[in-house]
Amino acid sequence: MGTMPNLSRRQFIVTAAAVGGGMALSVVPAEAAFLGTEPWAASDGLAGAEFSPWISITPDDVVTVRVATPEIGNGVMTQTPMTVAEELACDWSKIRAEFAPTSRDYRENGVYAPGNSPTGYFSGRSTSEDRMKLLLQVGASARERLKTAAAATWKVPVSEIGAKDSVLTHTPTGRTLRYGEVAAKAATIKLDVEPTPKPQSEWTLLGKATPTKLNNADIVNGSLIYGMDVRLPNMVYAALRQSPVHGGMLKSYDAEKVKSMPGVLAVVTVDPRETPGLAMKSGAPFGYGDTHARSAVAVIAEHYWQARKALDALPVEWDDGAGAQWKSTEQMVDAAIAALDKPSESIEKATGDARLIDSQDKIVEAVYVTPFSDQAPMEPLNSTALVTADRVDVWHPGQQSRQAFWVAADEAGMDPSKVFYHQTFIGGAFGRRIFGDDLRMAVAVAKKFPGRPVHTIWSREEQTRQGKYRPLVATKLRAGLDKTGMPAAFIAHQATKGHFPRLADTPYALGCIPNVRVDAQELPFHVITGAYRGPGYNSYAFMIETFIDECALAAGMDPLEYRLKLFAKWPDPGWTKVLKEVADKSGWGKTLPKGAGQGIAIANWGMNGKPQAGTTVGVVATVEVTKSGILKVHQIDAAFDCGRVVNHDAALNLVQGGLIFGLNMALNEEMNVKDGRMVEGNFDQYPILRTGDTPVVNVHFGGLSGHDRFAELGEPPAGPVGPAIGNAIFRATGKRIRSTPIRKHDLSWA
Amino acid sequence: MPYDLTVNGQHHRVDADPSTPLLWVLRDHLGMTGTKYGCGIAQCGACTVHIDGTPARSCQVPLESAAGVNVTTIEGLSPDSSHPLQQLWVEMNVPQCGYCQSGMLMAAAALLSKIPNPTDQDIDSYVDNICRCGTYPRVRAAIHKAAAGSKA
Ligand code: FES
Ligand code: FES
Repeated sequence: MGTMPNLSRRQFIVTAAAVGGGMALSVVPAEAAFLGTEPWAASDGLAGAEFSPWISITPDDVVTVRVATPEIGNGVMTQTPMTVAEELACDWSKIRAEFAPTSRDYRENGVYAPGNSPTGYFSGRSTSEDRMKLLLQVGASARERLKTAAAATWKVPVSEIGAKDSVLTHTPTGRTLRYGEVAAKAATIKLDVEPTPKPQSEWTLLGKATPTKLNNADIVNGSLIYGMDVRLPNMVYAALRQSPVHGGMLKSYDAEKVKSMPGVLAVVTVDPRETPGLAMKSGAPFGYGDTHARSAVAVIAEHYWQARKALDALPVEWDDGAGAQWKSTEQMVDAAIAALDKPSESIEKATGDARLIDSQDKIVEAVYVTPFSDQAPMEPLNSTALVTADRVDVWHPGQQSRQAFWVAADEAGMDPSKVFYHQTFIGGAFGRRIFGDDLRMAVAVAKKFPGRPVHTIWSREEQTRQGKYRPLVATKLRAGLDKTGMPAAFIAHQATKGHFPRLADTPYALGCIPNVRVDAQELPFHVITGAYRGPGYNSYAFMIETFIDECALAAGMDPLEYRLKLFAKWPDPGWTKVLKEVADKSGWGKTLPKGAGQGIAIANWGMNGKPQAGTTVGVVATVEVTKSGILKVHQIDAAFDCGRVVNHDAALNLVQGGLIFGLNMALNEEMNVKDGRMVEGNFDQYPILRTGDTPVVNVHFGGLSGHDRFAELGEPPAGPVGPAIGNAIFRATGKRIRSTPIRKHDLSWA
Repeated sequence: MPYDLTVNGQHHRVDADPSTPLLWVLRDHLGMTGTKYGCGIAQCGACTVHIDGTPARSCQVPLESAAGVNVTTIEGLSPDSSHPLQQLWVEMNVPQCGYCQSGMLMAAAALLSKIPNPTDQDIDSYVDNICRCGTYPRVRAAIHKAAAGSKA
């Protein structure tokens, strides 16, 4: 992680060909910065004077910024140009954004993401330190070349040139030139030294402006092209059915039964044993292991509904395989809990001597369980692929385009130099679209129908049952409290499948509790798991923050005071600041009627073992439970510390959304297993909160520590909502919530 | 057998199975991809269009019953994105991924044409679309602001 692309001088030297292309682009005047509905359609090279692979300026002053970060709704297509514009000093209305082609990155040896850094081409995180540095440098370097070109034109010293709003001014005489007028010349200039970006204190856009997102205009009239909206000449559609028990294999099917149905062109199969692979070392940042093809059958037809109807009519038999042994969710949960009695020797974290638990005054112990859950992005999985003898083109709503690019090459058995990846917009992802397994399936289908673009669509039911889920996790937590009531030692035993080693990534395990042991074991489940908003964290935050509440109760202390006392030793003041802010703003401790209660929780995503890293989020939930057990979440208050923010409104939007996501995760979400198969298929069985179910969500900015980082905001809010609600329910009813979804619990009280 | 459709005031002739959902007729036969597929079972509202001015989930409307009515899609909500809701959606940064927003806008526009000054409860019952990104607070705020703007 975090490999800083090396901005060598080479990257600022441009070819004459790229300069010549400038005239070709005709640009419509725009009132705001803009992007196309299909920003992947451009060729690999940039139109206009290419200052570096990242940026070009055309004679009409349009600045095109390349974004090497898929847009999943977090605003990277806006944030990236904003960061460049801070240094470029250009007119915001002349900015245009487009995706940086992964294919070019491969052919030009990592121009956008050198090495195999997973952050290159990874969605989100546009404000991480390495990316900010790079983009500011891109802007500064282009600006200095423009100034140098103007100075050369006027034969005056560069120091006499000012740059602002896409205009270069010779300060002593007041003469001016527009950026577009000198762009071609500027792009050929070599500087002896690249300029140093200005200090944060001089920023005028970042941290100040909150422009509307560039793609809003195309969203509100329906013209933005998501993967699902790709339309190509001669395109056909495929409806897909994969083995309903994960890991099962297709036994038989009867294509004759559907071949004469209207529009049907072919019935094809996908067999994981038929992946040809590449003879070269993989450049896939996450490898191919999580991307295997699933045994499947697909109907290809002229129109989607024809394919879908024929697929529904197709007789298919499956060999369920080993997964069928899991008859029910209960059986799997029982197996997970039973495994906790035989703790693993696989130690994730050990500090001091955790056996000291048994010599403490009080012991607190509890078992927590979180279920399989589906990311359920609103755009169902889909991809389009055109396979021909000498090249493969793919159009994909991917969250990690380099990963998907390599997976496509692997499945096609085609040299990556002949694979052309077209990044589309994405209707939500939340981790589901990281591995490129969806694209693999589309390529596997399309290669059986070469010569025409095949658009493969997962129905909602198919996508939900063929997930890469948040793993089912069972954890036993045990702590010994000393005479003052504070934990002197704790142990965590975890059992799961597809483990994310995140439980110990909290101050409790990193110094606030002196003696710690955390272990984990893998369970032999067949259900395929993967990344889900805040992988691992989304379960462990619930477990730990509920457990800390139980410890506070055992110690007879207020849960807020208890946490403040614990974090007193933690060298990151943000934790205390966040807690105080959220407690203050939510009216923590106020008297509430019987049946109502407040709960608090705090967690951090992205700290990776270090203080003053990642984003800390504190939540207070205010709930009410009727005697008959109906839960009403009245209000969610949150404070956070990601260091600083560069766009207040974008930050607010992400935190609001993340909290609501976390709320749904805790209240509603659960994927069940029956006879090896996933039960839930659609939103009637996998409920998602709607406008009317959503409580008041207040996001408070007073927790920001001002520390010099701009940590991410997409994943962190999802963690602490569930435990805050569970803790609030306890205070309202005396019932302790140790598993989710909360809707399954009987909350009635007397 | 061919059916005659009127979408955004334009006439189209579509030859497809009578049971084909209007959603797929729009997206696939007519190439109008603004109307989105989210669930196909009337749960999410991503496919919301107006039929003779009333909101409808197009995944539930078979082609045969879409003939002879006036269908309005997000592409036809206004000719130039000038509907007050479209403008506020941009200005207030309502969308995150944006995938649900065609349906949100169509549901909200239908609400405002029926109830120009809706209460929170009206919004809850008319705009019950699913947004996985959690844009609900902004959707609500934008509808209220549009209502306030039309009063002024
Ligand atoms: S696609 Fe029609 S309601 Fe979801
Ligand atoms: S904005 Fe993404 S689903 Fe609503």
